[in-house]
Amino acid sequence: MLELLFLLPMIAGLAALFLPANFGRGLLIVAALFHFQLSIMAWMDKLPIYTADYFAKTPAGMLVLLVTSFIFLCISFYAVSYIRESKVENESVFVGCMLLFLGTMSMVTIADHPIVLWIAIEATTLVSAPLIFLHRSKEALEATWKYVLICSVGIALALLGCFFITLSVDIAEIDVPLTFSSLNLVAAQLDPLWLKVGFIFIIIGFGTKMGLAPMHTWLPDAHSEAPSPASALLSGALLNCAFLGVYRAHTLMHLAGLGDFSSNLLIGFGLLSMFVAGIFILRQADYKRMLAYSSIENMGIIAFGVGIGGFALYGAILHMIHHSLIKSSLFLSAGNILLGFQTKLVTELGCLVKYFPKTFFSFFAGFIGISGLPPFGIFISELFILIGAFQSGHPVFAMLFMFALLLVVAGAAQIVTDISFSENETSAIRGEESLLRTVPPYVLLLASIILCIWMPTEMYDTILNTIKTLGGTIHG
Amino acid sequence: MESILSLGLALLAAPLFPGIILKVKALFVGKKGPPLFIKYYTFVKLLKKGSAYSTSTTFVFAAGPIISCAGAIMVLFFFPIGAIAPVFSFHGDVIVLFYILGLGRFFTIAAALDTASPFQGMGAAREAFFGTLAEASIFAILILFYRMNGSLSFADYFTGLQPISLTSPAGSLLLLVIVSLFMVLLTENSRVPVDDPATHLELTMIHEVMVLDHSGPDLALIELGSFYKLFFYSAFITLMLCPLDPARGLLNLPLFYAVLALVYVAIGFIESVTARFKMRRTPKFILTSCTLVFFAAILTMGFNK
Amino acid sequence: MINLNDAVLVIILLTILLSLASNRLLSLVKNMAIQGFMVSLIPLLLERHSSIGSGGLIFFQVMILIKAVLIPGLLYVALKRISIKREIEPIVGYHASLFAGLVIILLSIFITDKLHLSVPDGNEMLLTTAITTMSAGFFLMMSRRKAITQVIGYLMLENGIYLVGTALTKHSHTIYVVEFGVLLDLLVGVMIMGIIMHNINHAYDDIDTDRLNRLKD
Repeated sequence: MLELLFLLPMIAGLAALFLPANFGRGLLIVAALFHFQLSIMAWMDKLPIYTADYFAKTPAGMLVLLVTSFIFLCISFYAVSYIRESKVENESVFVGCMLLFLGTMSMVTIADHPIVLWIAIEATTLVSAPLIFLHRSKEALEATWKYVLICSVGIALALLGCFFITLSVDIAEIDVPLTFSSLNLVAAQLDPLWLKVGFIFIIIGFGTKMGLAPMHTWLPDAHSEAPSPASALLSGALLNCAFLGVYRAHTLMHLAGLGDFSSNLLIGFGLLSMFVAGIFILRQADYKRMLAYSSIENMGIIAFGVGIGGFALYGAILHMIHHSLIKSSLFLSAGNILLGFQTKLVTELGCLVKYFPKTFFSFFAGFIGISGLPPFGIFISELFILIGAFQSGHPVFAMLFMFALLLVVAGAAQIVTDISFSENETSAIRGEESLLRTVPPYVLLLASIILCIWMPTEMYDTILNTIKTLGGTIHG
Repeated sequence: MESILSLGLALLAAPLFPGIILKVKALFVGKKGPPLFIKYYTFVKLLKKGSAYSTSTTFVFAAGPIISCAGAIMVLFFFPIGAIAPVFSFHGDVIVLFYILGLGRFFTIAAALDTASPFQGMGAAREAFFGTLAEASIFAILILFYRMNGSLSFADYFTGLQPISLTSPAGSLLLLVIVSLFMVLLTENSRVPVDDPATHLELTMIHEVMVLDHSGPDLALIELGSFYKLFFYSAFITLMLCPLDPARGLLNLPLFYAVLALVYVAIGFIESVTARFKMRRTPKFILTSCTLVFFAAILTMGFNK
Repeated sequence: MINLNDAVLVIILLTILLSLASNRLLSLVKNMAIQGFMVSLIPLLLERHSSIGSGGLIFFQVMILIKAVLIPGLLYVALKRISIKREIEPIVGYHASLFAGLVIILLSIFITDKLHLSVPDGNEMLLTTAITTMSAGFFLMMSRRKAITQVIGYLMLENGIYLVGTALTKHSHTIYVVEFGVLLDLLVGVMIMGIIMHNINHAYDDIDTDRLNRLKD
């Protein structure tokens, strides 16, 4: 059954909270493997749905699910090694919350009832808070507090948005079950005013969670203070889940004939996020924060692409997939650097290429990928978005888009080259590059390259199905 | 006739109720407490004594107690005790009456200043300040009542065609007013937590410090005046709490006095469980009461549609 | 008979105003308990919900339990662990807060009026209260420094949103399982905030959020 997708990791997570630590590590990997298998089975339509009132299989959800499950699998191997080397105090809490996190994110991907979607997204905040606080430093405390409070308030507004959408159904006096799939069918009859108001609240609410500026303030703190496996998960999987919430609402708006309204909002938030990220990334002193700002930028790109629609929509979906793969790889590499040098400050680092060649290679390759250079997928996705923007007659936006990209690349390039090549006399080096920690970043990067060259037909069809409802296309 | 009877009863009974407060407070700390009629005994005792006047005082000092007591009694003449039509009534009497109470306060303050004692001046300043703040609340209540009922006299409020009560259309708003008026009551009558009638340190007093120099019959008058004032505010709250049918005449009185006693018990309860505010917290307390009424006044817009 | 529905709404408004004026954290928590109880009563009082089945009754009991007992209880425990009883220096003073409360309610009435909503059952008062509760919650979060007051502001916001939900939407949509999920999220959220608060107090000997200033760009 489809519900197993979230029930399995949740039960495993609860069990891990009470099991001894050694069991926990094994459980993490076993559960990740099972979950990946279940996701594949869900793709092959082998899982019937028992509670159709609340859950459904949607193409967009399936894409996010597969990406999440794959990333989690890679991270789980990494995490086992990470736990061993970084002397985590509350190991069972870490493992338990990681699994619960996976469970709640899977719930987001298959939720069809707006309020169930809301519950799942709020739950992701709650179960990931202990992950951020894992190292118990004052900084971690601060990051956790901001994360929980800002996200909870933001998501509370999204609940209000959900109520307004319900209201628009009531005013139109339509009697349908309150699920996105059935609402999509009757979208044209819904009350437009309340749909608009609802969408504004939803984009503010889930946008907070997604890291759109100006509601992004929690994101750099949380992503930089969380232990690296958790950062990778936050950046690579959680942001997508929040995006899914916005995407569902946008689809509904589009079908209701209010696509222009929601598109403009998305474009505005997208560009703003890109610029804010670009400005803060320049002269950033902390490389994990740099990565976090890059996530904000990429979420901005996705929002922009979805807003432009058409060709760019395809690019946006591709971008989401590739960003998840590359960014989680980057965070894992960053975790390796942090374990090796014990500092997050760029100025105290140097000569990565000499001390940790394997990590250097994955980190630098990840940087190339995230900057949108070939052979990685982001090159293609950004190209699609640009073409889409020019085609749909938004040359000004396209220019702004390129300028923001340039800012981010410039900022990031300086930091990455500093870390990699500068001749700083540093090196309080500790530990070797263990295999379990170095391989997952490579696997994730490889996945991005492979998807670039050869994409399975099922996946291709699913992407097309996703964008079809929004009028997206890849045939000019 | 009924009016005069009930007025007479009220005038006689008013000193009984502060006894209730003392009793409640005593019971709370596990004492037996003074007899219920303690205030009558003190009154008689004080009357038997002579008054002492400082050589520096003038006639203002002697006039203070008389005017404040007379003012308080006068208010009761206009108030429908137990929803029985008052002895006098005219349109707009509420405004006059609250200012007569204000006049009483003015003369108390003037008498306090007349003694030229530094403590008394300090108390007078505080009393004037808090009194002014409380006035804002009272007039906010009057505005609200005017919106609800359209009249400006006590008689119309409680015995008119559209009596103000919890059961009327916008009655739930009165919950706010009752809370607010209760706060005003505590302020105006120098009760805990605004002022402490039993305190012994002049520096912390508000009302008591102003009447330190009065003695004998003068003090008796001041006390009597404060009983009537307290009685008036409590009766005001009582009438809002339990709507009475004016047609039933004197039969209303038992219920009225029962609820009135409950209000006094509530005062005693508050005095037992709360500590006195710091002096600088007091304005916030009064301001809260004022805001509550404004709240209610704004909300009437929601109801009147 | 006195209109119970309105009376409950007025009591909710009263708790809001008192929370804005109160500097004692304990009385804030008590206020929240009363507010939570009243908010949970509202759906029971609305006439259109008079045909609530047994499942609904159990749900409302659970809701009262969570909103009026468990959550304030958690806050109370958190408060007992930290030695701070008052909010000494709020960002916006208490008198100004009270005034802001007045402005908020004026605005809420204005908004309710402007919306020209065909509110089910024409219950404008409920919508006004809901908007006031939400905005006051926001205001409380922004104008206070202590972590616990901010949590209370969040709860107030949540209460307001819940009221909007009951005021605006038809009850036929409500599926108790879903609502229960929302409540559970809220409860766990407060629990986690309580734990973080305990840790903040442990690390800084205070729960002043101004001290959380290590991370910035």
